[in-house]
Amino acid sequence: MSESQLETPDFVERLRDGDRAAFALLVKHYHPRLLGTARRLLQPADAEEAVQESWIAAHGALARFEGRSTVLTWLTRIVINQARMQLRRQGREIQFDPTEDTGDALAHRFRGDGHWQTPPLTWTLHGPDALLTRDELKHCMEKHIDAMPDNQRLVLELRDIQGLDFGAICNILDISPSNVRVLLHRARTRLFQLVDHFQETGEC
Amino acid sequence: MLKCKEVVQRADALIDGTPLSFGERLALRTHLMICRHCRRYVRQLDALTEHLRQQTPVAPLDDGEVDAILARLPPPPS
Repeated sequence: MSESQLETPDFVERLRDGDRAAFALLVKHYHPRLLGTARRLLQPADAEEAVQESWIAAHGALARFEGRSTVLTWLTRIVINQARMQLRRQGREIQFDPTEDTGDALAHRFRGDGHWQTPPLTWTLHGPDALLTRDELKHCMEKHIDAMPDNQRLVLELRDIQGLDFGAICNILDISPSNVRVLLHRARTRLFQLVDHFQETGEC
Repeated sequence: MLKCKEVVQRADALIDGTPLSFGERLALRTHLMICRHCRRYVRQLDALTEHLRQQTPVAPLDDGEVDAILARLPPPPS
């Protein structure tokens, strides 16, 4: 069973009809991805709880699923709403619009005339050297992703880690494509700066 | 002529396959032809996003885990 088979009209019809075996397949294949998304916003135990609650909510709402997005997009939206509810109970509110101006992590590397002052180093993420430091770099990237503002971290997760398209991300977060692009650019330049620094110094 | 800083701003569109106008594409191509720093930036940003994509959890749950989740759903109407 591949993910594309979970999105065919026939399969969606089975889900809407309350076919429990079809729902079990959905859980089997999508749960790990949904948990990955929830973990970007919540502690591991809370993330598990949010996804479990989402399955219950989705199960109750499936008969009303209109198929205007993919099932995965619809489920991701439910998971993020569950996560936001949990956060709200903890007194945290996520702002998805890129209102706060954290700027561009590479801004300091350009001269006043807009050309490189400190150009990128040459590095690769494959090959023997990269293998030697793979675990350290992975750990370091995770640390930096954790430290990003919630909105940047979530857009990076949905686009670059999960590979969702821009339309789906706009639908999930209720923000415009241009805001998704701004957040993604900020998140990517932060990571680029980190990898460059790591390659130069061997430090996170 | 684009500045390097502007190329970095637009590099995401290249990575994401966002449609660009003929003029935008030409300006980027011209800059990248003469600027090795920006070529390196685009190449490595592409490698970085590719690397992130490979982190996606792909292994499905085993049947016991699925059953544990289904067990908390409301029972089917009898």
